[in-house]
Amino acid sequence: MCLLLPSIILVALFFWGLLLLFQYSFRSYIPGSLEVGGFTFANYERIVDRLYLGAVWETLVICFWVTAIALVLGYPLAYVLIRHPSPLLRSTILILTVLPFFLGIIVRSYAWMLVLGSRGFLNQVLTSWGVIEEPLQFIFRRSGVILALIQISLPIMVIMIAAGLSHIDRSYERTAETLGANPLKVFRHVTWPLSLPGVISGCIVVFGWTLSAFATPIMIGGGKVYVMTVMVYDQILGSGNYPFGAALGVFVLIVDLVLLGIGQKVIKRIQGRMRQ
Amino acid sequence: MRVRGSFRKGVLILGSLTVFLLGGSLSQVVEAQPFVVSIWGGHWKEVIDKAVCVPFTQKTGLKVEFDVGETTDRLARARATKGNPQADVSFTTSHVARLYASEELIETIDVKKLSNAKDVLKIAFKSPTTIAPYATIYTMAYRTDMIKRPITSWEDLWSPELKGKIILPAFDPSHIIVVSALLSGGNEFDWEKGWEKLKALKGNVVAFYATGIQSIEMMRRGEAAVGLMNSPNIFRLQKEGEPVKLVIPKEKAIVTTDAVTIMKGTKKLEAAHQFIDILLSPEAQAEIVMGFNVPPMNPKAAIPKEVMERPGIFTKPEDWAGKAYIIDDEQRAKMLDVWREKFRRDIMR
Repeated sequence: MCLLLPSIILVALFFWGLLLLFQYSFRSYIPGSLEVGGFTFANYERIVDRLYLGAVWETLVICFWVTAIALVLGYPLAYVLIRHPSPLLRSTILILTVLPFFLGIIVRSYAWMLVLGSRGFLNQVLTSWGVIEEPLQFIFRRSGVILALIQISLPIMVIMIAAGLSHIDRSYERTAETLGANPLKVFRHVTWPLSLPGVISGCIVVFGWTLSAFATPIMIGGGKVYVMTVMVYDQILGSGNYPFGAALGVFVLIVDLVLLGIGQKVIKRIQGRMRQ
Repeated sequence: MRVRGSFRKGVLILGSLTVFLLGGSLSQVVEAQPFVVSIWGGHWKEVIDKAVCVPFTQKTGLKVEFDVGETTDRLARARATKGNPQADVSFTTSHVARLYASEELIETIDVKKLSNAKDVLKIAFKSPTTIAPYATIYTMAYRTDMIKRPITSWEDLWSPELKGKIILPAFDPSHIIVVSALLSGGNEFDWEKGWEKLKALKGNVVAFYATGIQSIEMMRRGEAAVGLMNSPNIFRLQKEGEPVKLVIPKEKAIVTTDAVTIMKGTKKLEAAHQFIDILLSPEAQAEIVMGFNVPPMNPKAAIPKEVMERPGIFTKPEDWAGKAYIIDDEQRAKMLDVWREKFRRDIMR
C-alpha cells in the first residue's frame, strides 16, 4: 500500500486537474478578462460548429494517413530488423530507427521545413533537374504536415511491430513451409495474423500520438492546417477564453477515449479469432 | 539495544547536520535571490539586458535573471503562481496587461518614484498598473529581391502580383483587421466595414505565422515576399543582411505599445520601481531604440541622427500624428476572441 501511495497521489492530482478543467468548461467567458462568469452550456453548443468540427475532421484525416503510411513503411523495416540474418544490417536499421528520437520534434520539424520549403532541398533538386520551373508548395498544407509526422512517428511504429514480430514462434512458419506453403502464403496465413497484435498496438500508439501533435502542424502547417491541439491552444493561450478552451479540451479527450476504446475492441476481436 | 542506541545517535547527528547545512544554504539562497524579469526570449531579452539590466545591477547590486516565454505562456504561469510570483517585473503586450490586471496579478505603479516619468510621452501611461516602455509598429516588410515594384500603401497587399506571397500573424489578427477597416472607412470599433475587403486578401496569403520568430524564418527563407510584421523583427532581418525593406504606408502604420508591469506579491517592490525608472531613462531608451528599431517613449533619448532617420522611429509629434495609428487597447482586448474566431473561419481556412 505504501509503495502505491506516490502513484495514487499522482493519479489523484491528475484527476483533480481534469475535474477543474471540466468545471471550467461550464463557465461563461467575460471578454477582456480572465475572470469567468456563471454556469452555461454555451461552450459546448459552440463546439458544434463547422470550424471546430472541421478541426476534428482534419485531425482524424491526418491521423489516418500518418498511421496507414507509417504502417506500410514500418512493417518491412520491422521485419528486416527482426528477421534478417545480417547482424550489421539489423544494427544499422535499429540505430537509424532510434536516432531521430534524440533530435526532438522541433528540430525534426524544422529540418522538414528546410527540405520542403520553396527554396528547400526538394525544390532545388527538381528545379536543377528541369522537372519544374517554379517552386512547388510542399509546406503550409496538409500533405507537408502528414509527411513530417510520418517521419516522426515511423520509429514508434517500427519498434511496436518489431516487438510483436519478435514474439512469433518460428515453428509455426516452419510447419507451414514443410506443408508446402510458399513464402508469400506463409506470410499471409501465418506471419501476418500472428503479428497483428503488434501491428494494432503500433497503429493505436501512432494514431494517438499524432492526435496530440502540436509543434509539427504549427510549424509546417503555417496556420492553414487547423488541428485539435492548435484549436485548444488558440482559445486558451491565444484568445484567453479559458472556458471555451476547457470545453474543447474535454471534447478532444472524449474523442481520444472513444477512438482508444474502438481500438481496444478491435484488438480483443482479433485476439478472440486467433484463439479460435 | 546497543544497535538501537547507535542508530538513534546516527539519525540525530545526520539530522542536525542536515538542518545546519540546509539552514546555512537557505539563508544564502534568501540573500542571493535574484531580480527576475519576465520577458520574451532571444533579441528582446538581449536588448533589455544591455539597456536596463546591466545598469540596474550596477545601481542596486541585484543580479537579474529572466523568465522567458511567449506572451500568453507567461500569463498562464503568472496565473498559476498568483500570490507568489516567480517574476518581479513582467514585459507583456498592452492588451494582455489588461488580463493581468483583471486577475489582480499586478501592482499599481507609483509614478512619483519614477524620476524619469515627467519626460515620458502621455501615451505611455495607459493605466495605473502599466507603463509602455516603447511602442511597436506593425507594418509591411518586403524582400526587395522578390518584389520589384516598391510597396508604399496598405492597398498594395491586395495586388494580384502578390498572390501567394504574403504572411500574416495567426495569433493576433487585430492589425490586418483594423487596416482593412480603415481602408473601408471604418476603424477598430466599426471593424465589420472592412470584412469583405479582408476576405478578398485571402488568395494572397501563403501562410499565417504563430510566433514572431516564425515570421522572421518565413521571410528569411523566402517562403514569403511580404510580411505584416512588427518593426523589431523586420529590423532584425535587416541587421542580418537580408534584403528586406520596412514600409511606413501612406495610410499610417499600426502602432501598439508593450507594457511593463510589477507583479503583485513581489518582495522587491522598491527595486522594481528602480528598474522601471532606468527603463524610462534617456540612456536606456536610446539603447532600446537602437536595439529594437522602435519609437522611444522618452523624447530625451539621445538617438544618433542616422537612427532617427530610419522609417518607424517617431521622435517628433508630427511623426506620431501623421504616421501612427494607435489601436484602442480596451477594444482590442474585448474583441480579440471574436476577431480570432472570425479570422480563423473566414480567412485562414
